[in-house]
Amino acid sequence: MKKLLLLFSAVLLSQLLYAQDFPYDSYNLSDLEMKSYEKDKTAHAVVLKEFGKTWISSGDGLPLYHEYHVKIKIFDSKAFDEGNITIPIHKSDNNDFEQVRDVVGVTYYTDEQGNVQRSYLDPKTVVTENRNKYWDLVKFAMPNLRNGCVIEYKYTLQSPYSLTFRDWDFQGTIPKIYSEYEAHIPGVFNFKASLRGFYKLDKNVSEIEHECFSAGGTKCDCSKITYAMKDVPAFVKEDYMTAPKNFLSAINFELNDYINPYNGQKTVKTQTWADIDYNMKHHEEFGVQMRKTSVFKDKLPAITGGATDNLEKAKAIYHYIQSNLKHNRFIGIYSDNGLRKTLDTHSGSTADINLALVTALKAAGIDAEAVLLSTRDHGFISKLYPAIGDFNYVVAKANIGDKSYMLDATDALMPFGLLPEECINDQGRVMSLDKPSYWIDMVAAQKRTRTHIMNLTLQTNGKLTGKLIYYSNGYEALEKRRSIKKFNSIDEYVENLDEKMAKVKISKYDIKNVDSLENSLIESYDVEIDVYNNMDAGRLAFNPYMLHRMTDNPFKLEDRTYPVDMGTATDTRIVLTVTLPEQYTVETAPENKATGLPNQGGRFITSYETNPDGFTFSHIIQLNKPIYSSDEYPYLKEFYNTIIKAEKADIIFKKKS
Amino acid sequence: MKYCGLFLICMFALSANAQTTYPAATIPKDLLPYASAVVRNMEVVTEVKDLSNTINHVKEVVTVLNKNGDSNADIVVWYNKSNRIKYIKGVVYDEFGKPVGKFFERNFSDYSAASDASLFEDSRVRHYKPSVVNYPYTVEYEYEVLSKQSLNFADWSPNESTGTAVEHSSYQFICKPDFNIRYKEMNYTGKVNSTPVTGLKSYLWEANHIKALRSEPYSPDPEQYQTVVKVAPEKFSYEGYTGSFTNWNELGKWVYDKLLTGRTALQPQTTAYMHSLTDTIADPKMKAKAIYEYMQRKSRYISVQIGIGGYQPFMASEVDRVSYGDCKGLVNYTQALLKAVNIPSYYCVVQAGNLKKSLLPDFASMAQGNHIILCLPFKSDTTWLECTSKDIPFGFLGDFTDDRRVLACTADGGKLLHTPKYTTALSKQIRKANVTLKEDGQLDGSMTTTFEGWQYENRPNIPGDNTDEIKNAKKRYAINNLEIETLELKPVKTINPVNNEQMKFGARDYASLSDGRYFFMANLANRYTSVPREVRNRTTNVYINRGYTDVDEVVYLVPVGYKIENIPLRVHIDKPFGRYTASVSMNDKNQIIYKRKLEVIDGTYPADSYAELVNFYQQVADADDYKIALVKAN
Repeated sequence: MKKLLLLFSAVLLSQLLYAQDFPYDSYNLSDLEMKSYEKDKTAHAVVLKEFGKTWISSGDGLPLYHEYHVKIKIFDSKAFDEGNITIPIHKSDNNDFEQVRDVVGVTYYTDEQGNVQRSYLDPKTVVTENRNKYWDLVKFAMPNLRNGCVIEYKYTLQSPYSLTFRDWDFQGTIPKIYSEYEAHIPGVFNFKASLRGFYKLDKNVSEIEHECFSAGGTKCDCSKITYAMKDVPAFVKEDYMTAPKNFLSAINFELNDYINPYNGQKTVKTQTWADIDYNMKHHEEFGVQMRKTSVFKDKLPAITGGATDNLEKAKAIYHYIQSNLKHNRFIGIYSDNGLRKTLDTHSGSTADINLALVTALKAAGIDAEAVLLSTRDHGFISKLYPAIGDFNYVVAKANIGDKSYMLDATDALMPFGLLPEECINDQGRVMSLDKPSYWIDMVAAQKRTRTHIMNLTLQTNGKLTGKLIYYSNGYEALEKRRSIKKFNSIDEYVENLDEKMAKVKISKYDIKNVDSLENSLIESYDVEIDVYNNMDAGRLAFNPYMLHRMTDNPFKLEDRTYPVDMGTATDTRIVLTVTLPEQYTVETAPENKATGLPNQGGRFITSYETNPDGFTFSHIIQLNKPIYSSDEYPYLKEFYNTIIKAEKADIIFKKKS
Repeated sequence: MKYCGLFLICMFALSANAQTTYPAATIPKDLLPYASAVVRNMEVVTEVKDLSNTINHVKEVVTVLNKNGDSNADIVVWYNKSNRIKYIKGVVYDEFGKPVGKFFERNFSDYSAASDASLFEDSRVRHYKPSVVNYPYTVEYEYEVLSKQSLNFADWSPNESTGTAVEHSSYQFICKPDFNIRYKEMNYTGKVNSTPVTGLKSYLWEANHIKALRSEPYSPDPEQYQTVVKVAPEKFSYEGYTGSFTNWNELGKWVYDKLLTGRTALQPQTTAYMHSLTDTIADPKMKAKAIYEYMQRKSRYISVQIGIGGYQPFMASEVDRVSYGDCKGLVNYTQALLKAVNIPSYYCVVQAGNLKKSLLPDFASMAQGNHIILCLPFKSDTTWLECTSKDIPFGFLGDFTDDRRVLACTADGGKLLHTPKYTTALSKQIRKANVTLKEDGQLDGSMTTTFEGWQYENRPNIPGDNTDEIKNAKKRYAINNLEIETLELKPVKTINPVNNEQMKFGARDYASLSDGRYFFMANLANRYTSVPREVRNRTTNVYINRGYTDVDEVVYLVPVGYKIENIPLRVHIDKPFGRYTASVSMNDKNQIIYKRKLEVIDGTYPADSYAELVNFYQQVADADDYKIALVKAN
């Protein structure tokens, strides 16, 4: 038995060691007969084998070649999309563009008579769609997909962008039995590879290929590195999740340096933060823009008015940039238009606008820096080594007195000092013109905070009348302002609000600070709420959560693999005071509850107090973290359960006899 | 000479100044309510130069009042190989009508308009979004698109979008005296001006002073209440094909003769295989079913917008070879397979979508319809086939193409037919649950639900893996702490299909204990919560697109010695558009019986019944929110 096992593992090992691209156009009957994937019965398809190979050729312009070859078992029609293939390819102009060639494909299927058939992809059906300025899509559809079929296709991609080495995803939306990637890197190029995700490599072998590269008189060896993973589970998205990229198993390459084979000149792309700092400071679309303070010199007096205090000045400049430059929805860390054009056209990308903000602040003598960061959907920063490619967004940081303020002027409703939730991710790198760069935690300056004060009187006609006052701060105020601005006027907003709640009539309202972004947004409404059709009954049930009830736990699944991303920390406080008609009294009052999450993660507290003519009921729900780990998931689920349970209990009013 | 030149420039400058400017302040005040943008002037001119040369000239001046109106200044021009943009240009003005910037075609971005799901489409767009930070602002632009056809002309609908008011809008159609058109005016109160212009035929429609529309829930198809003018040619040319039609019969004939004939040929072995599949079956309908199901097993749908402007199907033999196609290709292929065993069928053009939309009976045009289905005219009944789905039952259309007028393209010409309707009575969801409420508030039990009519599609046709279905069910049912022990879906695929769902489940803390009482929701699994918002001064009729019947019955076995403390639920509402009954009662076997029936009746109801509709749904939501309070019986 032992011997057999040993033999078996030896075979496996040797297979692993010598595995390379597998032969095209051949199938195993066992693959066609497979009814489901043993390791994941829920899978509608599984990658049987996948092989990729990338090399930089010695040809003119040193093009990069990427070969891709895959064989996929499709169990049922829910996975037929696997047979519709789209390959996005990049282009810069008529000279620099990627191409896909030598597309071949075959479908193996069992026909109605039980015979195995092969159906080849007609190369004429491979189409290229000109998507936009930067991207083409190569599309093709595999013929004759049937339940249980196996599809196989391969292609070669040629790219002029050799300095961007092809990354490789070991994990995808369907499970993979075997995925292998072979990278051939000439000695004149120095890439750093990093592995992301939960799973380990089953194979990681480096070999030397002698004199495999020769261009411009330079000859050098290549390293051939083979990476492989076996039995990679499908990546399943969960609700409330940060970027899948953070968790997907993949290998990524970042260029460190290279030697131009034609002139022997060495270009160091990134090595140390000092190098990056130097590059960024002198970058035409970054540091150079931040130096153009003179552009603002004339404009400043008008912008800052009579402000003498640096904080006042900074706010004035922030609001000026915010209201005068419109975001064109492009994000990035380098200025697209440059400062002058951005100001002239009143429009720009994130970098255009926020670098303009940094420059304007500096022009006013305020200590300002730029902060590079990665947005949530872009994933976490890899801190193994310095890499500029991890960042996709830039904001401003103003240091005033002993405080610093993170600023993003791309959203006209964002208050001074608050960043979009998208930016609250991992760490950012602070870049200044005169100091070395450093890391800073990207934490939200404020929570999502709301306080609702409701003073209501139960009338003898069964209606509750009184006043609702809502205070909103931080992200809550931001969101409210956004929804108010969706309407042409505050009147229309309130009209819609009123119409949405059929049982509530708003007779008078007042909304303060809609445009004064740094202050609490205060809404107050005089309302009449239909509660009871009549007051004939001896007992009346009243739910104190009536306007804010949660009936269903957002977390339904047993376990959680990935962290729970709640966006921001939240703080909700609701105080309800009810005055009862003389002939009524409270018979049953709710029990006071208090529950919490571990590590001060949150709490839920209710409190009931009797008043001479009624009662005051208040409750607090706090979630103190924007992100909860998967270990905290059961607690979070139970926390919601406790709230829902508490919200079921009614207060009973009884008619005095 | 020099003077002359100078003089000319002055003339130009003068005339430019004399042009109408559009200060925001001159917008009539009564056009402002609910408007985020106001179309100051829009002129669309379509001129058919000859059959394969149509010029579309569009000019618009629009004032954007606030950020919500920015999309009105978004300029999007579609084009493709046969529709070429000749020019686009425009000017941006500030609030006072002073020009602040100009833009040209080179400022427009260019991208593919194909959807990601589409294998191939050649439609593209040019897009420009002026960047202005101060409101209000005005954008004036014009463009010309040259179209090598005379079959399709864009509808004129001056007040299409909500939140936009219109000061003036016009549509002019110009053609040679020998070019005849038919037109259809909808909700157009004026009279077309058909005074000829310099020897050419001209038709001019105008609209003035249209207030901004608000979106109203349950509103009918916009063509029921908005101004629309549709124009169709008599003689036309399209991608090298010519033809003429004045009614659906002739149009259907043209489609049949020019686009479909000769595309159903199959390889002899495919024909032979169809025979071997069906020769032992006597009933032609059952033969058709066998062939349809073969087609479903074999083929898959892929969107391919190709072949004369997306009108002509792929050859049946080609679809047979690759086993994929778009709706046209798959319908034509199925038709070919049926033809192989002498079963006749009709290729039918339909306007698909959840909103039921019929082809206009009195106005034939190619632009109506966006999907193809197949009709089998058996002697005793008519059967309809949706050919793009791998798993929809034979003869079932679902809510994508039900209950609407379609065009059958046959050798005898076009025929208008009506697809089947899934009525309120037919579209049932019937649920029975037997559950036990434990002392600690835990609920355990089983539930069976059947789905019929269009509600058949509430559950998947081909149940996936059990774990997938359980995950979906947990999201679908608003039962807190729902844990599903087993779940089974058993679709019965007949022409009137039924899906069965059986579930064994538990829910911790279903009832909460407080002060010696149990509180729990009487309505276990079907609570109505989305009460439509009220609309004051409602303008459009109330339209319910599709009716249905939901029946729920839940029997709760509760702990011994408890009785219901609160007033028992007993609700009965009867309105023209719906009926609702709900009740809770307790028997002497410690059982609480909850019964609920909701019927929603499709149709069009007067605008002023809307308040009643909101009230109806509010009462339903309130009754569905009924909590049972159990207290120890003394």
